[in-house]
Amino acid sequence: MFIGAIGCEPLQLKRVGLENSRTLDVYRQHGGYEALKKVLDGMSPEDVIGEVKKSALRGRGGAGFPTGMKWSFVPKDSPKPKYVVCNADESEPGTFKDRFLMERDPHMLIEGMLIAAYALGSRTTYIYTRGEYRYLINILDAAIQEAREAGLVGDRIMGTEFSCEVFTHTGAGAYICGEETALLNSLEGLRGHPRMKPPFPAIAGLYGCPTVVNNVETLTAVPDIIKMGGEAYQKLGTQKSGGTKVWSVSGHVNRPGVYELPMGYEDMEKFIMEDCGGMLGGKQLKAVIPGGSSVYIMPATDIVGKKVKMDYEGLVVAGSMVGSGGFIVMDETVDVFESTKNLTEFYKHESCGWCTPCREGTDWLVKVFKRIAKGEGRPEDAQLLLDLCDNIEGKSFCPLGDAAAWPIQSAIKKFPEDFRRHLMPMATRTAEAVAAD
Amino acid sequence: MTTAESVKVTINGQEFQVQKGAPLIDVCRENGFAIPSFCYYADLALQASCRMCLVRIEKMPKLQTSCTITCTDGMIVTTQSEEIEKAQRGMVEFLLANHPLDCPVCDRGGECELQEMVFDWGGLEERFTERKNYYPEKFLSPIVANDPQRCILCKRCTRVCDEWMGEDAIEAGGRGANTVIGTFGGWLNCSQCGNCIEVCPTGTLLDATYRHQTRPWELERTVSTCTFCSDGCQMSLGSRAGELMRVVARDRYVDGINGEFLCIKGRFAHPFVNHEERLRTPLIRYRKGGKLIPATWDEAIRFTAAKLQEIKDAHGANSIGVVGSPRLTNEANYVLLKFAREVIGTEHYTASEAFSLAPFFKHMTAPLATHKDIRHAKTIVLIGGEPEELQPLTAKQVRQAVRNGGAKLVIINSVPVRLKQQATQFLHVRPGTEDALVLALAGQTDDAMAARKMGVEVGEIEPLRRMIDETQGNVVLMFGGELSTEAQTILAQLPGSIGDEENRRFLFHPLPLFNNSFGVHDVGLMDGKLNATGLLDAAGDTVRALYVAGGLLPAHLQGREQALQNLDFLVVQELFATDTTAHADVVFPAASFAEIDGTYTNNDGLVQRVRQSIPPVHQAKPDWVITSLLADALGIDFNYQMSASAVFREIGEHVPAYQGLRYPLLKDESKPVQAKYQLAGQRAEVADVLAELRQRVERMTGAGDKIMETPEVGHELFKIGTLTGKVPQFHLLAAGNPEPPDVLVSPLYQITIDSGLRRDTAIAGD
Ligand SMILES: Cc1cc2nc3c(=O)[nH]c(=O)nc-3n(C[C@H](O)[C@H](O)[C@H](O)COP(=O)(O)O)c2cc1C
Ligand code: SF4
Ligand code: SF4
Ligand code: FES
Repeated sequence: MFIGAIGCEPLQLKRVGLENSRTLDVYRQHGGYEALKKVLDGMSPEDVIGEVKKSALRGRGGAGFPTGMKWSFVPKDSPKPKYVVCNADESEPGTFKDRFLMERDPHMLIEGMLIAAYALGSRTTYIYTRGEYRYLINILDAAIQEAREAGLVGDRIMGTEFSCEVFTHTGAGAYICGEETALLNSLEGLRGHPRMKPPFPAIAGLYGCPTVVNNVETLTAVPDIIKMGGEAYQKLGTQKSGGTKVWSVSGHVNRPGVYELPMGYEDMEKFIMEDCGGMLGGKQLKAVIPGGSSVYIMPATDIVGKKVKMDYEGLVVAGSMVGSGGFIVMDETVDVFESTKNLTEFYKHESCGWCTPCREGTDWLVKVFKRIAKGEGRPEDAQLLLDLCDNIEGKSFCPLGDAAAWPIQSAIKKFPEDFRRHLMPMATRTAEAVAAD
Repeated sequence: MTTAESVKVTINGQEFQVQKGAPLIDVCRENGFAIPSFCYYADLALQASCRMCLVRIEKMPKLQTSCTITCTDGMIVTTQSEEIEKAQRGMVEFLLANHPLDCPVCDRGGECELQEMVFDWGGLEERFTERKNYYPEKFLSPIVANDPQRCILCKRCTRVCDEWMGEDAIEAGGRGANTVIGTFGGWLNCSQCGNCIEVCPTGTLLDATYRHQTRPWELERTVSTCTFCSDGCQMSLGSRAGELMRVVARDRYVDGINGEFLCIKGRFAHPFVNHEERLRTPLIRYRKGGKLIPATWDEAIRFTAAKLQEIKDAHGANSIGVVGSPRLTNEANYVLLKFAREVIGTEHYTASEAFSLAPFFKHMTAPLATHKDIRHAKTIVLIGGEPEELQPLTAKQVRQAVRNGGAKLVIINSVPVRLKQQATQFLHVRPGTEDALVLALAGQTDDAMAARKMGVEVGEIEPLRRMIDETQGNVVLMFGGELSTEAQTILAQLPGSIGDEENRRFLFHPLPLFNNSFGVHDVGLMDGKLNATGLLDAAGDTVRALYVAGGLLPAHLQGREQALQNLDFLVVQELFATDTTAHADVVFPAASFAEIDGTYTNNDGLVQRVRQSIPPVHQAKPDWVITSLLADALGIDFNYQMSASAVFREIGEHVPAYQGLRYPLLKDESKPVQAKYQLAGQRAEVADVLAELRQRVERMTGAGDKIMETPEVGHELFKIGTLTGKVPQFHLLAAGNPEPPDVLVSPLYQITIDSGLRRDTAIAGD
């Protein structure tokens, strides 16, 4: 497994390979808490937000919303307390970067959260991890304790007027609790389902107070932005997608792992074939899901020789999205019908049940997939699946419904053969198999 | 409140001026554009989950839910298009996917919103050919049956449970397609109001006492007024072949002050109407100590008239007492009073009402609040009382005023009532010291003493006065039966002495107990020389005979059991054999509220219609008819020609507050008519009353323990009375909710399924 940067100096992954990387000492020896010091030494909250704006940092949780802009939505004059919440729910299939960052470099996250809290006038911050990351809570709590003992968390941080607490909290195993408003419900002890937006969390979030929810990787980018300046950070990437991005690479490549690439990294094909060590067992590339399970699947023909640029704009042009950066590579042995069935079962399992299209739609979709898998497919099923997806897409309460529909829509469109095979009458199917032998 | 700024919206090409911020779904519907919906419910938190109400709004990326969109200027909306219809049909198709398609066996069939939606659209082809998810039917309580498969998860039920009732007794459990509405521990632990049943658009939550008894289209529906508490909820009585089958408040049948709200009594405590123990014929006890023997109406009327005449001749008119009841109609009480005055000529008339509001009505200096006023009040002061148990609609309005309207609520009570969860300020006073608060409200000078007597900090009183002072909007003053005559008087005069301001208005909301507590005051029955206990105390002495309609209250009878036996003659009109009829010489079987026409006046002062749903059972007759027959036998013809409306016309001529009222004016329950109560001016004698009140407070000990326990919900609602005692389920509930031995299945389900007992025997055998 590879962990490191390609095409740039490692920022996020600077320390993850070091011995004892999760301790305060190692963190400090390698530039840790210098950004916080810089902030507390004379930057105003507006300065901090200004730098983040200049950095063109976009949220790494999936939606890619410009972070500086999100921070500037928090009303300065609100008398209510303000909260910073780190979204460490990381449940998107194919995504495991946040876990590495927290496991190996927890202080980077704490520092990022403290800077965000300073910029937003917050005194209380939470790290919300998925239930399965319970073991990370020990690591994070130990790091917070270390930081507290060093005067970096708690009252009068670094001897200044700034005081801030960092708390950890785990979910109970629901993908939907990664959606920011469902996360807030869960954090408040309520049922994990999304809330109506507007109001957005920046106006009325946790306990109805202004709240910023950011992904782990978004927050861990903040110390470097402060240290090198927003402009310098942005220049590492492109005009609209600043800085570097951490990708979780899995699937049929020789070197899966956690890769840090500059935004706008040229050529996905090169990335797969060279940086990731090429296809496992020398097999043919069939498809890539570049941004976690919720994005459109890309066939090899859209990648090979197409010089796909790996950033927000580049992937949209290529017909998919950055999403959470969960980069799943599939070789020729993969039946896209099967892989799509698998994902659909995931979405059905994780649908929170709040709204009609997602709750009933995913249940229906799975039942159709299962029937087809049993060999009882009908030619009209492809159309049925597409029509059900159309009735879900754009009509659900939160984006999970869309996320369930997109993989199916793109899979049927891009890999019609994989579906046709299953939908043909049984007799034809067997005859074809005989002919192939 | 939103400003009444008006904006222009275009709906399907037509322009409309509408209020800025109004919900788009309402605006569309008001202007005749139908929008399907399941989860939207006015004045409940927005849910936006059914996704039925989709519309296209220009400049917005996807279809939008019109229930969550508020109108802004220049909005261009399309409610009908191919795209929208496909989406909406898609949603219904999704909802039907796992829904059983066997409406003929579902109890909601015929009045189900899902069924109607499908009927309206027609042309649905069933594409779902997979296996449906299955959940067993069960009972959530003795009166709530549950068929989870039919649920469309609109969560109206959970929202009314939380927002109206403050119970939070049902919630969704599980997730995704496995989400089911359920309870904590498998058992519905609440006041069993059944509002979840009412608002459920499908056959998921059902009235277990009515289920599978009849189909809704076989029912004859009559809009009437509840016969239990003073809130006066409007309800639809469903009857078939002379039997009252059910009571609902579904908005398709009735549209009153309560919307679809009813409490457990209103909704479920109606089996007394056709109960087998109803009195069947008139009864006469020919000699003291003998038995009550069935008689004909002619015989009983003749016998009674002769006896009354005899006693009047022997002891004078004042030896006969006439007692009406706050449970009876205005018509019944008015005719009784007329009988007392004109036929007997006695000064001894009253009603069996324990809480006299006479001092309040005499001195009131501000109008009465309607339930709508309460919902939109800005400050609510609740002195004593326990509306959650005794006036449940009022409690719901108070809760919504606080939760949805941001009203401030101050509760002054000796019991930490549950409603205090909603209170901005709770003054926990010693039992019996509510008067002291009224004294403090009347002026600062007595703060220190009042606080000492109540057992609260002096500093707690000033904020309350300031809250009232600074209110922008309506201040509603509510009070229960704890207040003394003096305190009622001073409170009634308070608004007059403080005075209204441009943006502040005082309104009163007394909390009497009975469905027609107001009415007995209005018709003048409470102005007699003695009250009910006074009459009983004089029984056998100056009072030789009593004519009681509707029975005496336990509160009156307790400790005076002997009194009835001391009488020479006792006539009672009743539904059932009771403690009062036990000593009666003549008993007349009276018709219940479901069998008569009439009016009740609720605690808003609204005069509302009671309508005949079924013919009188057995030989029962309306109370006022019985009284008229007696009058006739005594030589005075009231000349009502057997028509309740003729009685009411006379009430409209003689009762000042009801001046000009006629039945046709009370026709529409959605536009209730408030009686015109005379407001009093500032009264000079009030200074003396204030002095008396001060002395009263001074006499309080200022010692003693406070009540620390919050009573369980339902402790009053489940009390077994003459009427609720006829409902088997109430016995089970009054005994406390049994602890479910198995948390997965409700106990009743277990009783039914496991032990092979029939459900009704299981319940009756509690
Ligand atoms: C169904 C669903 C699941 C999500 N799961 C995650 C998650 O696991 N981690 C995450 O950071 N964001 C997740 N998001 C995105 C969050 O809603 C939110 O956009 C993000 O936390 C914002 O942080 P950012 O601006 O730093 O990206 C999810 C969104 C949806 C709709
Ligand atoms: S789309 Fe609807 S059911 Fe699905 S997760 Fe979001 S709110 Fe829940
Ligand atoms: S039980 Fe009825 S009211 Fe409750 S969510 Fe289901 S369908 Fe809606
Ligand atoms: S009525 Fe709007 S989503 Fe249900």
